[in-house]
Amino acid sequence: MFSGWNWVAHGLCLLLNFCSLKVSGGLVQSCGHIIPESPVLALGSNFTALCILNESCLDFGNIYANQIIWKIKNKVVPKEQYREINRTVSSVTFNDTSSLATPLTCNILADGQIEQNIYGIAVTIGLPPEKPRNLSCIVHQVSKLTYPMTCTWNPGRHTFLDTRFRLKYRWPQDEFPDCIPKDVNNSCTITDVQFFVNLEVWVEAANALGKAESDRLVLDPIEIVKPLPPHNLSVNSGILPTVLKLSWENLISGAVMKLKFNIRYRTSGDTNWMQVPPEDTASPRTSFSVQGLRPYTKYVFSIRCMKEDGVGYWSDWSEEKTGVTTEDKPSKGPPIWRIIDASDSPASWTVRLMWKALEPFEANGIILRYEVTVRAKSSLSSPAEKYNVNTTNLTLKLPNGTYEVTLIARNRVGASPPSVLLIPASNSKAPVKNVRTLPKDGKLWVGWTAPNSYVLKYVIEWCLVSNSSDCIIEWQNEPGNVQGTYLKGDIKPFKCYLITVYPLYADGQGSGQSVKAYLQQDRPSKGPTVQTKKVGKAEAVLTWNHLTVDEQNGFIRSYTIFYKTVDGNETAVTVDPSKTEYTLSSLTSDTLYTVRMMAYTDEGGRSGPDFTFTTQKFGKGEIEAIVVPVCLAFLLIVLLGVLFCFNKRDLIKKHIWPIVPDPSKSNIAQWSPQVPAKHNFSSKDQMYPEGSFTDVSVVEIEADDKKSFSEQDLKPFDLLKKEKSTSEGHSSGIGGSSCMSSPRQSVSDSDEGETTQNTSSTVQYSTVVLNGYRDQAPVQVFSRSESTQPLLDSEERSEDQAGGGDGTTQRQQYFKQNGGQDETNTDRPCFERTRQITPTNEGGLVGFAQLQISGHSLQPLGLGMEKNIQKAALPDVLQTSIEGQTVRPETVEGNPPSADEMPKSYLPQTVRQGGYMPQ
Amino acid sequence: MAAADSPSAALRRRDLCSRGIRLAGKMRSDVIDLLDTYVERQGLDASASVAAVEGVPVAAVERWDEQTGTQRLLENLAAYRAFRVLLAQMLEEHREQLGEADTALGRALAAVLLQVSAFAYHLEELLQLESRGPPSEEGSVPPPVPHLGLFERKLRGLGVLRELAQWAIRSTRDLRQLAKPSPGSSSAPGWTESP
Repeated sequence: MFSGWNWVAHGLCLLLNFCSLKVSGGLVQSCGHIIPESPVLALGSNFTALCILNESCLDFGNIYANQIIWKIKNKVVPKEQYREINRTVSSVTFNDTSSLATPLTCNILADGQIEQNIYGIAVTIGLPPEKPRNLSCIVHQVSKLTYPMTCTWNPGRHTFLDTRFRLKYRWPQDEFPDCIPKDVNNSCTITDVQFFVNLEVWVEAANALGKAESDRLVLDPIEIVKPLPPHNLSVNSGILPTVLKLSWENLISGAVMKLKFNIRYRTSGDTNWMQVPPEDTASPRTSFSVQGLRPYTKYVFSIRCMKEDGVGYWSDWSEEKTGVTTEDKPSKGPPIWRIIDASDSPASWTVRLMWKALEPFEANGIILRYEVTVRAKSSLSSPAEKYNVNTTNLTLKLPNGTYEVTLIARNRVGASPPSVLLIPASNSKAPVKNVRTLPKDGKLWVGWTAPNSYVLKYVIEWCLVSNSSDCIIEWQNEPGNVQGTYLKGDIKPFKCYLITVYPLYADGQGSGQSVKAYLQQDRPSKGPTVQTKKVGKAEAVLTWNHLTVDEQNGFIRSYTIFYKTVDGNETAVTVDPSKTEYTLSSLTSDTLYTVRMMAYTDEGGRSGPDFTFTTQKFGKGEIEAIVVPVCLAFLLIVLLGVLFCFNKRDLIKKHIWPIVPDPSKSNIAQWSPQVPAKHNFSSKDQMYPEGSFTDVSVVEIEADDKKSFSEQDLKPFDLLKKEKSTSEGHSSGIGGSSCMSSPRQSVSDSDEGETTQNTSSTVQYSTVVLNGYRDQAPVQVFSRSESTQPLLDSEERSEDQAGGGDGTTQRQQYFKQNGGQDETNTDRPCFERTRQITPTNEGGLVGFAQLQISGHSLQPLGLGMEKNIQKAALPDVLQTSIEGQTVRPETVEGNPPSADEMPKSYLPQTVRQGGYMPQ
Repeated sequence: MAAADSPSAALRRRDLCSRGIRLAGKMRSDVIDLLDTYVERQGLDASASVAAVEGVPVAAVERWDEQTGTQRLLENLAAYRAFRVLLAQMLEEHREQLGEADTALGRALAAVLLQVSAFAYHLEELLQLESRGPPSEEGSVPPPVPHLGLFERKLRGLGVLRELAQWAIRSTRDLRQLAKPSPGSSSAPGWTESP
């Protein structure tokens, strides 16, 4: 098996070697060839190629046309396109050459297996040239005698082939060498042409696929000349200040071409050209005088030319040349205005005359000086004052009045017409109305309604309103027949301008009418800073300052206040821009609020800083409204309580701290009929030896009050004595301060105290002090005992039987004797009380006249006397005890009697009513 | 002389005359410029007097105003054909003498030669319009140039250019005469335009 394969391979190698030798020998003799050889084909056309085998190869290798394979590059052409013409020729056909590529090869399969290349050709595919179109020619003059003609054309589509273009031209009887373009295919320049002979021009395009010619132009080259512009242009000023003379040279001979011209000119610095009327320069020339120019003005000139009949092309514009016209006298007087300062003196003005320098077209030269004449209109006799000024303002100090100011500008040629300004004593004429402004085209337009009178002219003043600079006045004049104008100045956006319009009359002047305006508005540069002026419970008064003019950037149309709580929605309030204060109402009390403020112009608003405040917890007067009624109510309650306590003091006392008599301290226990009065009576007793007391006042003297009572100290008790009943009790012991804050208030009112005490079921012991008057029967009087000990039933009964007493009952604690008329006065209460007591006894209740003896309040001065009196009275009391009932005398609390003064023994005694106990 | 009948022929004739006049004027201007250049480059004296050169047509003519249009055209055509030959000879001699060094003079000579040729073409066209074809050039071939020295050739060239300038003036007048509405009339030229 292996050896069989070797044989096959060996045979194949031999065949290849043989073939290769034949092919290699093909450099000299190929086995075949293709026709056409390297064709140039039109794109899109059909193409047929033939591969023709050599006869020698047929015999040698058994190669025939049916074995031929066509390839484009390495791609086999489908066999459907093959055709075997005979045994040595095979053709291939392509319906569209666009599918062709280089190389196209003819190959053969040797022994039906091995592909061998026989021949190959290069195929070039392209397009035939199109007919050149749009042929046109122009003759450019490049020098005085050189007129090359350049022709251009449209070469047409790209042919993918090497295509030659030739510009052909000829005279009818002469041929000229072709013009061959260099590096381009659409233009060519013929170096020299002859005028006045028709020239036939056309373009020929040719490549491997064909040739095409353009349409033929027949033209006289003189008709397509673009001449060189005139040169050596010069400008000379003439005699007249409005004329400049131009001169130039033409570069084209008049024999060749007659020219016409265009002259243009402009003022130096201007960009717009003016042109001399073409008909004025339609004929050949080398100079021209331009008229109608402005004096003393620099002009720039330029000139061009073309064939006189207009056939051909205009030359380029010549180089520019300048010229200046001569001076002329100023054409008008300078606009003049004034600023009057009347603040220095009431009788004079400081008048600042100012005028504008004339525009160059008005000055017509260099202004050498201004001549100002000031004439007072009021006094014709006074001469006019003349001033020569080099500047454009003049400040004069003039007395108040009407003046006529005349201004003349003068240059080297002459003087201007005068400008006259009337300065009236007052602006009494009609002013303009309805001054308004309107930004327009980047400028500020000012309009007004003219007054009814004839106005010579208007003066518009304006100045920039700013905090940082003064109002520097600018102004301009406008004729009297206009009612609006643009401000001629550097009007800046976002700045406030104060604009004033004055009408000037032949005989006076109207007052100025002002308006503020912005050329362009913007949002304010900052917002107002708001703060609180006053904060209440539900309202807050906000205050702020107006924005400065520099900050406004426009007209402030409104303020908006935004306020909110920490977690609440923001509330906005719009405020009139004239306000600087606003009250926020309906706020929540004791709440933190944040407030800010925005200022709005027409272009928007800007917010100021936040401000926080907290509303108050209570409103104004609220505390007072609560506290005052509460206090009043409290006071009323207290008062009522006091009154109640006062009224019910006895009842209260009885319930709360009833006085329980202490038998051991009973006064009666201290009393002994046998005990003589050891004490000397005071001087009072001595002064009134009769012992007739018409009035008795009881004054409780605190035991701990160590100071001595003077006569003066006791006076108030006199008054009290007069007002109250003659007997007063003093609660002793623990009851002393239950209702009555002062022991003195325990003075019993006999009118009512006894009745109230009658209601008590508890019967207290009483101390009975009797004071008889000499031989009169002593009146039985019951005095409440100070003892806290319970009374014996017998005692109580005796007390119950105590009826009315004698009016001479006296208190023994303190005696003050009143003489004379007082006696009768002081006696009556005692009787009254007696009468009141009586009914109480009838009611079954025991009435007591409180008679408290506060032993501990005794003072050395009166102590002895009191005690003596007590001792003296005790028998009387006992005597008044009814029907032998034993009356247990109360012990005077706080003032226990000393052992030597007060016997310890208790000696009940029965005192017969109406009896008298001798002392 | 047969006048053109059709309006288009009249217009054509008028156009040819007009442009012939302009061409003659330019030719004269260029020849004058060329004369200055030629005198300068050839080292000649501009005021040098040159005797009549053999074979150069003379512009001066007696009883000029009595010539017919055709006669004028024929004389002009003969003269410019002669100048064309003479100028071609001068250009050839100039190239032989200076090679391509003096291109300005050579270009100027070539330009004048072209204008002479163009003017001759104008004349031929006008003769065509006169229903008389131009004569063949063989009959007007100038005699062969005699062998001359260099200086003589320069003087001869100067004479040719001067005479050409004269012819330019005459041709202008002839064409103006032809351009008149009644061509062939013997009236004096009325145009005052100078080239």
